[in-house]
This record gives sequence, C-alpha cells and structure tokens, in this order.
Amino acid sequence: MTATPTPAIDIRSLRVDYGEFVAVDDLTLTVPRGEVFGLVGPNGAGKTSTFRVLTTLMEPTYGEVNLDGVDILEDIEEARRIIGYMPDLAPVPGDLRVWEFLDFHAAAYGLGGRAQRRERVAECLEEVALSAERNHWCKALSRGQTQRVVLAKTLLHRPRVLILDEPASGLDPLARRDMRLALNKLAAGGATVFISSHILSELAEMCTSLCVMNRGRLLASGSVDAVRAQLGSTERTLIVTALAGPKEAAAWLGTQAAVQGLRVEGQQVMFGFDGTDGAQADLIEGLLGQGIRLRAFEERRASFEDILVEVAANNRRA
Amino acid sequence: MSTERSKAPVNHSAWNIFGNPIFRRYCRSRLRLRGLGVALLITVLISGFVFFMFRSLSLYRGQLGVADAERAALIPLFVLQAVILFILGTAQVAGGMTAERDEGVIDYQRLVPMSPLAKVLGYLFGLPVREYLMFFATLPFTAWALWQGQVPASVWVPLYTALFSSTLLYHLTGLLTGTVVRNRRWAFLASIGLVFSLYTGVPQMAKFGLVFFKYLTITPVFMESRPGMLPDNIKAMLETVARLAPEVKFFNLGLSELVFTLFSQGGLILTFLVMLCRKWRRSEANLLGKVWATGFFVWIQVLLLGNALPTVDSGELFPSGGVRIFGRGVKMDPTGSEALIMAGIYGVVTLGLLLVLGGLITPTPERQVSGWRRARKRGEGSIGVLADSASGFWFVVVMALAGACGWFLFTRGLVESRWFPGQLVPVQVLGIYALVMLAAGVGVQVLMEFKGGRSVGMAAIFLGAVPLMVGAVLGASSDRLLAMAAWLIGISPLSLPLYAPASVLGLGGLPDAIALAVPRAFYFWLVSCAVTTVWLVSRLRAARKAMARKILAEPVSGKE
Repeated sequence: MTATPTPAIDIRSLRVDYGEFVAVDDLTLTVPRGEVFGLVGPNGAGKTSTFRVLTTLMEPTYGEVNLDGVDILEDIEEARRIIGYMPDLAPVPGDLRVWEFLDFHAAAYGLGGRAQRRERVAECLEEVALSAERNHWCKALSRGQTQRVVLAKTLLHRPRVLILDEPASGLDPLARRDMRLALNKLAAGGATVFISSHILSELAEMCTSLCVMNRGRLLASGSVDAVRAQLGSTERTLIVTALAGPKEAAAWLGTQAAVQGLRVEGQQVMFGFDGTDGAQADLIEGLLGQGIRLRAFEERRASFEDILVEVAANNRRA
Repeated sequence: MSTERSKAPVNHSAWNIFGNPIFRRYCRSRLRLRGLGVALLITVLISGFVFFMFRSLSLYRGQLGVADAERAALIPLFVLQAVILFILGTAQVAGGMTAERDEGVIDYQRLVPMSPLAKVLGYLFGLPVREYLMFFATLPFTAWALWQGQVPASVWVPLYTALFSSTLLYHLTGLLTGTVVRNRRWAFLASIGLVFSLYTGVPQMAKFGLVFFKYLTITPVFMESRPGMLPDNIKAMLETVARLAPEVKFFNLGLSELVFTLFSQGGLILTFLVMLCRKWRRSEANLLGKVWATGFFVWIQVLLLGNALPTVDSGELFPSGGVRIFGRGVKMDPTGSEALIMAGIYGVVTLGLLLVLGGLITPTPERQVSGWRRARKRGEGSIGVLADSASGFWFVVVMALAGACGWFLFTRGLVESRWFPGQLVPVQVLGIYALVMLAAGVGVQVLMEFKGGRSVGMAAIFLGAVPLMVGAVLGASSDRLLAMAAWLIGISPLSLPLYAPASVLGLGGLPDAIALAVPRAFYFWLVSCAVTTVWLVSRLRAARKAMARKILAEPVSGKE
C-alpha cells in the first residue's frame, strides 16, 4: 500500500461569514502538488474570501486548511513561510526603488546576507523581465510592470504554494504569455499555483485544472472538460456549408438523433448537437453518404465565459 | 526557474532593531540624502539659533556667568527636541501606518514570517527614524550646554529617560491610531489630538485628585529636573519649591518622579504593544483580550488610588492645596464641595474607562454569529469564555464592581480625612456606587453587544450628550431653571457618577436649588437606568439564546 502524497492545498468544510452573509459555504477542495489550479467565479462568488483565508489574512468562521501539510490556523508563521501571495491590483510602496522593495522582502524572509539577497533579487527580476528597471522608483512603474514586480516579490522565497489573485490584469499579451510560461515552469518544478482570473479563456489555457465557485459554493472542479461536463454543457453548435442542396442536407439531418434547432441560412445549415464525438463523426460520414457536397464543416462550443455567465444567471434567478 | 525548497530559518529577533527588515526598510526610504539633508539642515539651524540666541542674551544682556549662560539654552533646546519627537514623530508614525494600509502594502507585511512584536517594533522605530536623527542633530548643542553649564548627570539622565519613555508612549499611540483609524487624515489628526490632550487636558485631572494622569507626560520629571538646568539665581528659588514635594507617594512607598513616570507609562506602553501585536496577528481581533482589559482596568484603579490616598491628609490632593502651598500663611482648608466634585470626577473617569475597555472586549453581533458557528462545528455547546466572540458581559460586570470599589475607597479617603471631622461614608455608599457603574457601564456594554456600535452611538448622542447640553444651557440661563437643568442633565448616564456623591454624602456646599433637585433626579434616573439595563440584559440573554439555538440547530457542514 503506497502512502497518498500530501496535497498542496487541502481545504475542508471552509466557511466564511460576514455576519449573516455567508461568503464561503462549506468549501471542500483538494489541489495536488505541481498543479496550476484556477479558481473561477463571478463577483461575490467567494474567491477573495477564500484567498484571504488561504493566505492567513483572515480567520474563517470554521473549516480546516492545510497547505503542504501545514495547518494554517494552528501554525500561521510556518504557513506564511510557504505561501507566496500576489493580491489583486497588487500595490507597491511609492517610496522605494524596485530592488529595495524586493530586498526588503528578501530580508524579511531571511534569504541570507546582502550578497545572497542581491543575487536572488536579480534572478527574480530576470524571471519577470524587469532587470532593466531595477533602479526605477516603484511609483514610476506602469501597471503591468507593477504586476511583474509584485510577482517577482512573490517568487523571492521560492514559495511552495503560490496564490495569485488576478495576476494577469494589466499585463499586455506578451507579458501574459511570459507569466503563463513562468507559472508552468514553477509548476513543473513542483510548486503549486492557485490562481484566480476573470479572463476565463486564458485561465482555461493556463491551468491544469480549475474549480468554479458561485455564491460561496463550489459548483464544479477538475479538468476544463470535466468542469464543462459537471456544469452540464456538452452541447455544441454545428454548421454545415453545402456547395449545393442545403435543404436536402437539412431534411436528412432532421431525421438524425441528437440534432435539434435546425435552421437554414443561405448555403449554411446550423443545428445544435448534443451527441458524443463519435456520433458527430458518423453524422459527417452520413451527410457525405447522402451525396451532399460539403464545402465546410464547423463546430462551435459554448465558451467558458458563456457557461459561467449562464451559471451565474441561473444562480441569480434561483 | 528554481523551485528549490527553501526552509531557511527566519528568526528575526524582536529586540535586534538594527537587523529588523521593517526598520531597515524605513531607514532606506526616510533617510535618503535629499530629504534627510534638508531636515537636518533646518534642525541644526533652528537649534543653533536657539542655543546661540539664549546664550548670548544671558551672557551679554543678562550679565550671567559663562556656566549660567550655557544652561540658559537647555530648556528651549529641550522644548525643540520634544516637538520633534512628540509632534513630528507621532504624526509620522500615525500617518505612515495609515498610508501602508491605504496603499494596500500592509498585507505583504502581514505575510512576512516575522513575529508580531518584531513587526510592531520595526514600525515603532522605523517610521519616525528621520525624526530620531533630527533629535540627534540637536544633541551637540545640548551636550555642549550640559558640559559647559556643569549640569550633573543626576539632572539630565532622568529627564532624557523620561523623554524617551514619553516618546515611546506617544509613538505607540500614533501607531495604534494609524492601525485602527482607517482614514489617513483622521489618523493623523487623532494622534496629534491625543498627544495634545495628554499634555493639556489629561494632566488637569491631577488637580482633582487623579494625580496618576500627570505621569503620562514628561512634565513631572521635567519640573523635577528644571532647577538643575537653569541659571543659579532661578535655580535656588525653584529648588526650594521642588523640595516641598521631593518624591511621589504611592501607598506607603516613596518613589522618584522618574521611577513613577516610568512605572505609569510602562503599563500603558505594554498595553499598547499587546494591542498592536493582537492586530498584527489577526487583523480582525479585538484590541485587547478580556483578561488583559480587566487587569488593565484594575491596574489603573490601583494607580489612581495609590497616588491619591497618601496625599489626602496633607491637603495636596485638593485643588485648594496648590493655593496653600504657594500662599504661605494663607490657610485654605478643603471644602465639602471640593470633595464632592473630586469624588464625582473620579466616578466619571472610572465610568469612562469602563466604557472604553468594555467596548474593546464586546463582540459585534456578527462576530457572535461566527463564534457560535465555530462552536457548533467543534461540537461545543458554547463559545469559549475568553474568545473574542464571547460575551464581554461578565468581564464588564467585574470591572464595574472593581471600579465601584476604587471609587468608594477614594471617596472614603477624602471624606473620612482630617479635613471633614465626624464625616463617615457608610458601606451602603458602595452599593449605590456599584449600582451606578452597573447601570451605566454594563447598560452601555449590553446595548453594544445586543444592537451594535451604531445604536450605542445614537444613544450616546441623544441620551448622553443632548440632555447634558440642554441642561447646561438651561442652568446657565437662570437660577430658577437650575432644578429643571439638574433633572435634564440627570438623564445622561455620564451624570450619574457626578450626582452620586452629592446625593449620598452629607457634605453640603451646593446651592439650595441644586442640593434638593440633584438627589431626587439622581435616584429617579438611577432607577430608570438600572431598570433599562435589566431589561436590556434580559433581552440580550434571550437574543443570545435564540441565536445559539438557531445556529446550533443548523446542519453542520462537512460532517459525515
């Protein structure tokens, strides 16, 4: 019998109340080591409260949170040693230069003498491509540069668990790509990244798995496809563009199972399809077997944003 | 990217200030050559001007000897140093702390693995580091004046020790204000206001028997040291005065001004440190724990009594005592009305402290809900007595009773002294005092716990302040309205401790209209207040039971 490895993040029955308002309700979640794990949800979903508890900035009403085996409610100091936290709209002190800001944190985390700290600061600045701005005043940095400085600060002490709240906001596409690569590299090295973002498509791209919260509750978690499935969205829209005879194509498609909402627009036949991938392949083969010449075949799945918007709207209605 | 596990021991000793990263961070930002240079230049210019101006005036215009002339600049320089440390330093600490929170960088500091005490000390000495250097820049002039003026170490060491302890106290006040008050401007104003009131308003309490408050300032030590820092002709006169009160009496002990100042300020400094550490450990924590708050309240009572009682018989404690000392030959015996006012003020101050400390340990209704949920999750039937979310009721009751005892002892000390022969304070007075403290102090605490701070604020305005103001205006308008004014003022719970001595002690000395109306108003409003408090207590108990029942009945999430 092999021992189960300690998960990087282990949240059990977490609850956060603000008076009568329940911000996080019975959240149970496990994140294995080395994952880039996304936390998705609309405003008021409980993401920030969850993050504040995980980072020891807030005491939950109750619940257990273990980070890399450390109970954060019992051993705050140790927990703080293994956490790297980057808050939303990451602020920086205006009265320090970039290297001074980083050096202060390096000293606070006990990263050795001056030379060792200087070396580590240089490494982290290089990671976020800000070596040239080392002597700049923090207050003179652009939004994106500020985000990167704070990311560098977060990486300084080589945290085992990185908690990043909207880290990509304010970054240009290039910087976002760099951040994505940096996070993947960290995860490959064994660190665990817990990340929230409103740029959902990007999160889906960046994360190995994710979870969706709404109104303080966990709605789904797992891989992107698993989350889609859990949220009940396997439906897709198919568009067939026929060279000739779209009506014949529509007539034949109308007889097939899993096809619904057929409509013809010019040469195009559009319809919803909720069959499996194999059934979809059979459908294309069938169309060709009917002698219908196809010019194009397109599949459109509901975007992750669409699903979440629908989830949020359903919850609001409920 | 390296993800090599780093478990480097982070062990920042709280007392190694120069190695404290927060201190060093502020040394970097506040000691930049440009800003520091200007600050030092201005400081050196002003202190140089002060030194040479006073020295020259004394030497050439005052025809004093060299040593006397050098000493003449010491007190002005000392005032300048106090302004730098007390005013500029405190403002910087309060403003800087609020700025950290305003900008949001405070969360980073919360997360760094340093002990709360190390963080507090880092801020305490780091934020005003420029002001410390400005202070050091004045020292060459002071050192020269001390040396050339032949001022013995026994004079300046206590003075500068008290300067340092007062500085710590005020900076901690600023740090606490900056931590608690959310708005940067308000934090700055509040801290300056507090320091200002510590120097102007609070010491006035000493004139009414609460001598302890004087020792929260540097004034007593300064007064003691002053003769040694002045030219010989003034020194001789002041030394004679100083000999009249050579030491501070504390029960049967005789302590020097410095020792007692350090003793008084030390307790407050320690309490402020505890408050700040609690806030750094958990930002949502109460400023004080229940046991510490109760202990602190009792400690203040002990200090007030220990300071006051030994000076009753000499007459020094009474406001008229000061007149008697200076006006030799003029015999001014304490009057009954003096004793009534002093006892009343003691009661008001005690009630004020009770309200403040009671407020600090009273959980909001929201916190109580969280506390009950946590208890339910742990399978417990109640919240731990000492938890921040637990009711502060019983601790406030203990404080109220302790306050009543202190107040009673003070009153008995005054009234049964040699100044009022034949007067006795029956033990029933203790019961009345206890009822006042319980009705007013516990009443407010229960209202806060039951309805929250907003309701207390409204009650404070409409029941606490408005009747006082209207009554005062009426009383000032005409003697015929004095009785009505007394009834109106009596509505305010704050007036109960003022009315109590006048109602239960037979010292007389009040105008007839008031002497008749005050006891009637007192007993009527005391009973009203007590009945309201009992009603509030029963409502609170019912509400707490309902809250507990409701929450404990909720399904426990996460349980198999």
